[in-house]
Amino acid sequence: MTVTSASPSTDRSTTGSRGRIVDLLGKPWSGVAILLAFYIVLIVAFSVLSPFFLTGRNMLAIGSNVAFIGLMAAAGTPLIIAGGLDLSVAAVAGLTGVTIAILHGVGLPIWIAVFLALCVGAGVGLINGLFATRLKLNPLIVTLGMMSIVSGTALILTGGLTRALMVPGFNWIGQGRLFTIPVPIILMAITYIALAIVLARTRFGRFVYAAGGNAEASRLIGLPVERVQMILYAISGVSGAVAGTMLAAQLGAAAPGAASTHLLTVIAAIILGGTSLYGGRGSVWGTLLAVLILGTLGNGLTLMDVSSFWQDVTRGVVLMLAVSLDQIRTRALGD
Amino acid sequence: MRGIGKSFGGVAVLTDVDLVVAPGEVMALLGSNGAGKSTLVKILTGVYTRDAGIVKVDGEEVVFPEPRAAVAAGVRLLPQEISVMPDMTVAENIALGDLPMKRSFGLPSVDDRAMREQARSLLDQLGFGTIDPNRPVKRLSVAEQRIVEIARAIAGNARILVMDEPTAALTEQEAKLIFRIIRRLKEQAVAVIYISHYLSEVFEISDRIAVLRDGRDAGLFETASASHEAVLAAMLGGVAGDLYDIEGSGAQAGADILTVENFGVSGRLTEVSFSVRRGEILGVFGLIGSGIETLGRALYGALGPVTTGTVTLGGTAYRPRSAAAGKTAGIGFVAADRKKEGVIAELTVRENMVAPFLDRYVDGIFVSRSRETAQAQHWIDSLGIRTRGPEQKIRTLSGGNQQKVCVSRWLVDGISLLILEEPTRGVDVGARREIYLELRALADRGLAVLVLSSDVEEVAGISDRSIVLDRGRVVGRFERGAAPEDLMAATVNDPAFHAA
Repeated sequence: MTVTSASPSTDRSTTGSRGRIVDLLGKPWSGVAILLAFYIVLIVAFSVLSPFFLTGRNMLAIGSNVAFIGLMAAAGTPLIIAGGLDLSVAAVAGLTGVTIAILHGVGLPIWIAVFLALCVGAGVGLINGLFATRLKLNPLIVTLGMMSIVSGTALILTGGLTRALMVPGFNWIGQGRLFTIPVPIILMAITYIALAIVLARTRFGRFVYAAGGNAEASRLIGLPVERVQMILYAISGVSGAVAGTMLAAQLGAAAPGAASTHLLTVIAAIILGGTSLYGGRGSVWGTLLAVLILGTLGNGLTLMDVSSFWQDVTRGVVLMLAVSLDQIRTRALGD
Repeated sequence: MRGIGKSFGGVAVLTDVDLVVAPGEVMALLGSNGAGKSTLVKILTGVYTRDAGIVKVDGEEVVFPEPRAAVAAGVRLLPQEISVMPDMTVAENIALGDLPMKRSFGLPSVDDRAMREQARSLLDQLGFGTIDPNRPVKRLSVAEQRIVEIARAIAGNARILVMDEPTAALTEQEAKLIFRIIRRLKEQAVAVIYISHYLSEVFEISDRIAVLRDGRDAGLFETASASHEAVLAAMLGGVAGDLYDIEGSGAQAGADILTVENFGVSGRLTEVSFSVRRGEILGVFGLIGSGIETLGRALYGALGPVTTGTVTLGGTAYRPRSAAAGKTAGIGFVAADRKKEGVIAELTVRENMVAPFLDRYVDGIFVSRSRETAQAQHWIDSLGIRTRGPEQKIRTLSGGNQQKVCVSRWLVDGISLLILEEPTRGVDVGARREIYLELRALADRGLAVLVLSSDVEEVAGISDRSIVLDRGRVVGRFERGAAPEDLMAATVNDPAFHAA
């Protein structure tokens, strides 16, 4: 039992420096502030360690590289806040690229193919939502199963092969620039701003927090808990599809398993960003910072010639540290 | 414990408090929320360390830096929330702290037989040899789970047992079982410190009553010679005399708002008929399992379209379908279990208040923060909710204030009937009276109020009219002024209850 957990809120701020630190950690904005501070430290450290790090080109490269992860994490954040979870999102991204390539291959115009692929993403999300909310199954199991189904389907459709996907207008989504800023970064930024506004200012956003904070209480005051979760599952599916589209456009190819190795990064970013796995608490800004931190960490370590195996270890350590800090914070806020 | 002092952040929570308990004595510890009861027992059980004073156990001065040290010295706390391992057996739960071991095939393993024997003898000792040590605890009733907890405490040779609201989730009958155990413990010279909000319980079971108020001793009574009024006065500082002495009568009760005929829910409610009038409080009393936990939510619609019978609400036919539909039809509902079904802990007071009717605060596509805040502040003021402001997280409020927030949610145009389950469960005496006053004020403003409660004094005290449920049927109807004993007598009871 630690000092922070046993004491009620009144005896913070008194017990010397330790109390003051706990006091600071207890402030509501401290979660995002800590991430921001960590991000800045990371940037400064890598700038000192590598001359190639702090250049406009490299910064934009980091942004475009993490954009598809950022998109999935953005949509996953409100879903987890509302008490859901989507492990199939990265598999959907893989299926999307494949779907576009096949549909375009049989002669459909590329944008029709993209539209249909997005519909597939939404459909997968809705099926997830149906099982998780109507049948009240554990979302972990439902979406784990769906992940297997979706990635399996993508492999069946392609025979496991990667397909080239070079269509000038289409590849602009992944490789193009608008006012010198890569399109993926712009798409990601728009997504985050839109979601942040929805969560903070709209009725729907409030329902998201209420549904995850206490589903039973929310139902009893007549809030549409299931409908909110259903919509969020669909959004998550669509985000997987958009991420998959972006990735395929970026790579100029559709690979069935293109995104699946990044599922853990998506979930890690959401948790690192301060969203509670138990629901009810979190913000997309925290997620965005976490995505940038994880992306920067990978980029910086690569520049310093650290092997990707060690990068995995580092990511894990950062995640566990962040979650521990968050626990201390939660206790400091008082229960 | 003598001269105990403790402060948090420079604020004295306990000042010069004495508490002396003899072996075989039941000492009741009473006080409103914030009086310092829980701080005192947390010092005794090693959760907090004291700033001043001495604690002696068996004449030896002790310091408990952590709860385990207190347990080792024979001081055990039974927390308010039952803490058993639901999937383990009774025997495993009882032995948990100190599993009997043996060696089989050279490896240490749990001695199941010794564990079962120990459980059986401890349960026998408590007078509950009928509980099977091999049953998973989740199959037991709440009262039996309590008994298992007590057995676990005495398995560790507890000399001092602190019980925090041990009967909170129990019916009155089940509470009698706990009392029986406490009497057994007395015979075995265990000292019991009994914390409760229920005065009648305290008077039934305790030898002496210690009252705390604002962190100081506010009175020590010999239970046999003390009066309810004197104890209550010590708790409240001589302010409130009678908890239920409330102006306004509901005499001007108007037309029927809700009429219920032959209402039923398969297996739980049968042929229930009653009406609630505009401006009155209708109380429904029943023990746990009588149907009071079903009636309110079935009418509201939270159980879905499972009801039979005829319901008229505000003159038009109403059929419960869903919580959302009940809300639209003009019913507000406050659930018994605030933590699980009432407050949304991570949200602020403001967000909790406006949640049911959030659409009324939406301008265009955005929620208007300023209108929300204005409304929340209005409710905080008019209900006297003690909070730092609308932006405080609701989980940091006391139970009574959380309950007021849950009530305030429904104080909007269009709500004509307010249904409350156990409106003051887990609420301290001072705040209880405030909630009763508020319910009366709401009725006077024209609401129909339906209160479902297993607290017989509460129903008798605040209702204009009352009905009594038992086994899903109405077994009694009373006008204002009925005595608690009348209501209780109306329930068909286990003979054990009347014998006690």
